Amino acid sequence: MFNISNLVQKAQSAAQQLIDPMQGLNLTNSDRNPAKSTLFQHQFRLPSSQTPLYEIPAELTIPPSNVTQGDKGGDRGWHYAGKLHLSEAYMCFSTTPSSFVSTASTSTSSAFTGQTHGGGPSGNGFTFPLCAIRRVERLNSQSFQFALAITTWNGIPQDATKDKDAQKDKSQMREQRITIQLAGTRHACERFCDGLKKGLRGGVGNVGKLKKVVAECYSEYLLRPEDKKSVNPPDAGLGMMFKYPGDPKKLRDRAKMRLWAEYLRDNGRNATIIRQPTFHKLIRVGLPNRLRGEMWELTSGSMYLRLENPTLYTDTLAKFSGKESLAIDEIEKDLNRSLPEYPGFQSEEGIGRLRRVLTAYSWVNPEVGYCQAMNIVVAALLIYISESQAFFLLSALCDRLVPGYYSTTMYGTLLDQKVFESLVEKTMPVLWEHLVKADVQLSVVSLPWFLSLYINSMPLVFAFRVLDVFFVEGPKVLFQVGLAILRINGEELLDATDDGAFISVLKGYFSRLDESAHPKSENPKLRAINRFQELMVVAFKEFSGITHSTITDLRLKNKDAVLNNIENFAKRTAIRNLGPDSKLLSPEELGAVYDRFYTILYERQQRDQNIQEEKLRRAKTARPSAASAFSDHQDHGVEKGRVGLGPSTSLMDYDAFREFLAAMSKWAIADSPASPRRDQFPDKDQYFSGFRKSSNNLLSPWGSRPEPAEHEFMQRLFRRWDVDSTSTLTLQNVVTGLAQIKGRRDIMGTITYFFELYDDDGDGKVDREGILRISEALLFLSRRGLEGSLSASSSNPSLSTLTDVNGPMSPSIGGTMNERFLGSVSAFIRRCFEYADPDHPSNHVEDATKAAPSKTTESDESQTPDDSAFAIGDDEDEEDEEDLLAFDGPKETPEESPKESPSAAKKKAALPSNPPALGKPDAGNEMSRSVSKAHSEKANVALDPSNPLHMTLPTFRMVVLADELLEQFFESSFPTSLHVTEGLPSANPSTPSLTTFSSFGRSAANSLPIPQAAASGATRGLRGVLDNIVTDASRVAAEVRRRMEEAQRELEQNAVPGQRDEEEDEDDDIRVPKSAGGYGGDAERRSVRSSDLDLLDGADAEAGASKGQEGSSQSILKPTEATSSQSGAANTPTQRIVEFEG
Amino acid sequence: MADSAGAPRPSSSVKLVLLGEAAVGKSSLVLRFVNNDFQENKEPTIGAAFLTQKCNLPTRTIKFEIWDTAGQERFASLAPMYYRNAQAALVVYDLTKPTSLIKAKHWVAELQRQASPGIVIALVGNKLDLTNASAAAAAGGNSEDEDEEGESGGVSGGGDESGDARKVSTDEAKTYAEEESLLFFETSAKTGHNVSEVFTAIANAIPETSLKSTRGPGASNAVSRGGDEQRVNLTGPRGDAAKDSCAC
Repeated sequence: MFNISNLVQKAQSAAQQLIDPMQGLNLTNSDRNPAKSTLFQHQFRLPSSQTPLYEIPAELTIPPSNVTQGDKGGDRGWHYAGKLHLSEAYMCFSTTPSSFVSTASTSTSSAFTGQTHGGGPSGNGFTFPLCAIRRVERLNSQSFQFALAITTWNGIPQDATKDKDAQKDKSQMREQRITIQLAGTRHACERFCDGLKKGLRGGVGNVGKLKKVVAECYSEYLLRPEDKKSVNPPDAGLGMMFKYPGDPKKLRDRAKMRLWAEYLRDNGRNATIIRQPTFHKLIRVGLPNRLRGEMWELTSGSMYLRLENPTLYTDTLAKFSGKESLAIDEIEKDLNRSLPEYPGFQSEEGIGRLRRVLTAYSWVNPEVGYCQAMNIVVAALLIYISESQAFFLLSALCDRLVPGYYSTTMYGTLLDQKVFESLVEKTMPVLWEHLVKADVQLSVVSLPWFLSLYINSMPLVFAFRVLDVFFVEGPKVLFQVGLAILRINGEELLDATDDGAFISVLKGYFSRLDESAHPKSENPKLRAINRFQELMVVAFKEFSGITHSTITDLRLKNKDAVLNNIENFAKRTAIRNLGPDSKLLSPEELGAVYDRFYTILYERQQRDQNIQEEKLRRAKTARPSAASAFSDHQDHGVEKGRVGLGPSTSLMDYDAFREFLAAMSKWAIADSPASPRRDQFPDKDQYFSGFRKSSNNLLSPWGSRPEPAEHEFMQRLFRRWDVDSTSTLTLQNVVTGLAQIKGRRDIMGTITYFFELYDDDGDGKVDREGILRISEALLFLSRRGLEGSLSASSSNPSLSTLTDVNGPMSPSIGGTMNERFLGSVSAFIRRCFEYADPDHPSNHVEDATKAAPSKTTESDESQTPDDSAFAIGDDEDEEDEEDLLAFDGPKETPEESPKESPSAAKKKAALPSNPPALGKPDAGNEMSRSVSKAHSEKANVALDPSNPLHMTLPTFRMVVLADELLEQFFESSFPTSLHVTEGLPSANPSTPSLTTFSSFGRSAANSLPIPQAAASGATRGLRGVLDNIVTDASRVAAEVRRRMEEAQRELEQNAVPGQRDEEEDEDDDIRVPKSAGGYGGDAERRSVRSSDLDLLDGADAEAGASKGQEGSSQSILKPTEATSSQSGAANTPTQRIVEFEG
Repeated sequence: MADSAGAPRPSSSVKLVLLGEAAVGKSSLVLRFVNNDFQENKEPTIGAAFLTQKCNLPTRTIKFEIWDTAGQERFASLAPMYYRNAQAALVVYDLTKPTSLIKAKHWVAELQRQASPGIVIALVGNKLDLTNASAAAAAGGNSEDEDEEGESGGVSGGGDESGDARKVSTDEAKTYAEEESLLFFETSAKTGHNVSEVFTAIANAIPETSLKSTRGPGASNAVSRGGDEQRVNLTGPRGDAAKDSCAC
């Protein structure tokens, strides 16, 4: 998978780059163009709360007493020219060129030099927490305008002010006092000093925190005068109890300790240490046991994390004490098998520490939780550091040093393997060629190296030496060491012809690392060099060209391929493990469902993020001065949004579910721009209340997608699919849900399914309310026409009579279909009530006798109002016509197919001029009239709330089967209406952008003229009226009666004009397509299908357009909400900006 | 290991991969097979471990190149790297943990779709020593010992009172194995029960044709010896014969 596909991918990526270097790379903005604050934080290993506020060129002077090496002759001490940076709580100095202020371009910021190339503390300098600075004085200086003398808290013991001994200590101790001369314009210097003053004032409160943090550092104990050493030393890891690995003599631990003590005395300790060239040298030769942990903490920056929140570790443990999780189960499995050869981990003490650190981390970072290999790494760390230090060091590792290594998809690990492979190919082409030829996968060998940071590949003593450098210089060290291993063993590896031989060569090498590298050499000095030292030299000399930016670039280049691999695997696995229900769907359908599911979730997440960012930006522009202090925090969050990056989200809430349906089904797309409509669904059980709030956004929550409809049916469907009642759906839920509808393909199943949807208490009965709701759902589902095979309908006698009535005009057949369906539904209601079982049997007979005459009278009249009811200028109707026409006669299609665009255009034209008057509201009225007509039929008998009744499944089945159209609806239209595989986003990527564009145009054109009434008027569509009717059964009765009378009156007076309206509309529709050319006369069903898709697209565009409208109307509707954080004037423009982006 | 019979038997290497949930005893099975050893606290496998072991059959020698993979769920995406080109797979579950069988089924499905066609898959229920059956089945006397074995590391303490921690019945797993035409064994890496039998059975089940195409020096020696190799003995009592033939 890795070798051959590697070549293919390389070729592909090369080809891609020829076309467009960035195309195909799904990179986040921060990947390509890291924020300055990110660079700043990486350079000085600061917490993500820090941002570069000021920077100024400066010269650092360390007084002679502090100088350990170098120009000792000069009594002015040691000078370093570099840059001084100030963030909220830190002052940093580095001789490494760097620039982080907002005016500097990114390219200058990334032009790093030094050991770490911006990936860690490099060069000479310091990183002082402002709370560690005791005093800043301005000096008089000849050469510089501004000279600051900085005195730190270095070495001042905690209880300094209390006793006399402290006074004595103080006098013994040299104060750490350094001078910094600022080189800049007077203005710049003053600004910097002002910032510093502010920062220092803010830092005062943290001095106590600092002292607490520092107290855990071994250096404090080390540098304490001898007479005060009686106090217990701070915890420097399990090694203090169980011995540190390796022979201290051989490691020359004592000598190292002396050197470090001297260095720390001169240059400050822990938080106030100053980096001079010796610092880096001392690290490269290996840290002494008891200082190792502290230096790791310091160089990795985890000490600053601890300083930020010193009690986080203990707090976390306390907070989650006694709680259980999957991660904890996994941790427990591995506790006894983490560095089991080290005595500390054969004891309850060591295992207890390991358990607590891993557990605490799994709580603070649940997305990572626990990954095997973390146990080994943490166990190794715990030999040298205390629990809480290990906890923060682990955070620094997972978040910054090896991001994504331990995530649930381990994408960081896989990515770095790719990077390593390409580095091998570049630096050792011969070996690489051999590997390819022998079909040896490098990552098989190298993956454990990286994942466990060499800890279980090399003997521990050497692995720790690698770690020493790794924590200062960053991940590139892992690559340098890996390359050096291969280089040194190159000859032997070229002889290895399979994985096994390859592995055994390296195994043998690791076991002999302590042997002399040149055992036969005459030179005793050369003989004394062991293989590990040789390895370090090769790694850092020969591969010094491998820098932080090399790694960053290669990661960027390979990221997409790696993520795609992971995602393909995840998809395959997820689909395969979906359980028996998934067998009801085809593999293509499953794949499509998977894609749709995650696309929706991902897009929603992106949109949320954009909205958040936009809010932030607005906040920023509102308060430009303070803004910089809070900016850019988003960039440091864990990347999200791709399956490959980990399960950032895998649950679908109700709004996402609506979107999911809207992407598949015409009926799930809203036909009017209407968020307020939600209010018309009073929900007693609060199940959906949460979702409503969340989607009530200032910005469109739907992005470029069509706004999904909201209907009680969808809520029921959601609840039905949500088998675990978590208010969210998993992929499994969705697949099971879909499989039950689409997978069965048998009418009885679908009918039962539908019935159960409305059988709230599961007692096999649906009451009057339920019956009304079912009919309402049927109308909802059919309002954009029926899909599926309705061919049988042509043989329907009622159709032929209808066509006779309508004359030979074939386009009206479409209208007829809807009319017919409406008729069916009305008959459905009638029959339901007719055959329903009364809850009180005594009423039954009476009902039946009443029902019979009313039915006969109604059936005669019912046709005419129905005809006019459904067809008024509602462009959705035409979609249906097509389906029908495709079967009835191909010759009709040319006239019909491109109909959507003109009708949409017509609507567009109509809406701005007189929005509430046309289209839907009318249709709604007509519709409701017809429904009320239907209602009226039974109103006389059944709607009387004093006669409770219910319908059973057999009754429901019978009623459905009694009507051919309904039967077809359940047999095919409903299951077919969920287009799982068609029109996936990838198939027609042009749609979203197109929609965005049109929506932008719309919103710009219409944002102002649309009055509030328009929006609310439009929302009160047909379903609004229906809903109102249905919500209250007693009101229904009254309403229905009233409307029935109205309808009859209208029928007598207006039946003919109504008809005329409809025909005019259709004339319009026919005319335009003719001029537009249309499709070939013998278009097959397939082509109609594709035109169907076009229609959907058209609908998208329309919905998008209405979305634009919604945005603007909302802004008018809710000015208070929108303007809570800024001025009202800024509101509308900003919103438009976001929509444009969306 | 060395061939004691006069004429050298043809030898060929077979790539075998171990898959299964974490801490079911994959590494312990391998350790038992390769070194005839058992460790209470075996470090979790990071990525994968590689070991080799020869298995002598009457007609030929099979050199197993064993890829022992990490079991934790998130390592699953690395698995294709290891089962690539594998001719045999050992899918291991824990007899005392029903979820591990589900995971094993997932692995079988994955292998059947993604691995090389014709891969020989053996389903192995490990930790037989924690069940009652072990008393009858295991030859070793220490099977009553209820210490958790291998990678279990303290997870399966539940069976101690009843003396039988078995949660997956033999029938259930066997039925599934037959449906999917897998080899099926219940083993104990701790006692060594049935371990070498698994590998011998796999060695026998590898079709001759796929041996010819294997890489390594042994490949050229793999001449056809008739239909003998095609015989797959699923349940036959191999006992001592297997122990002799397998170099462990």
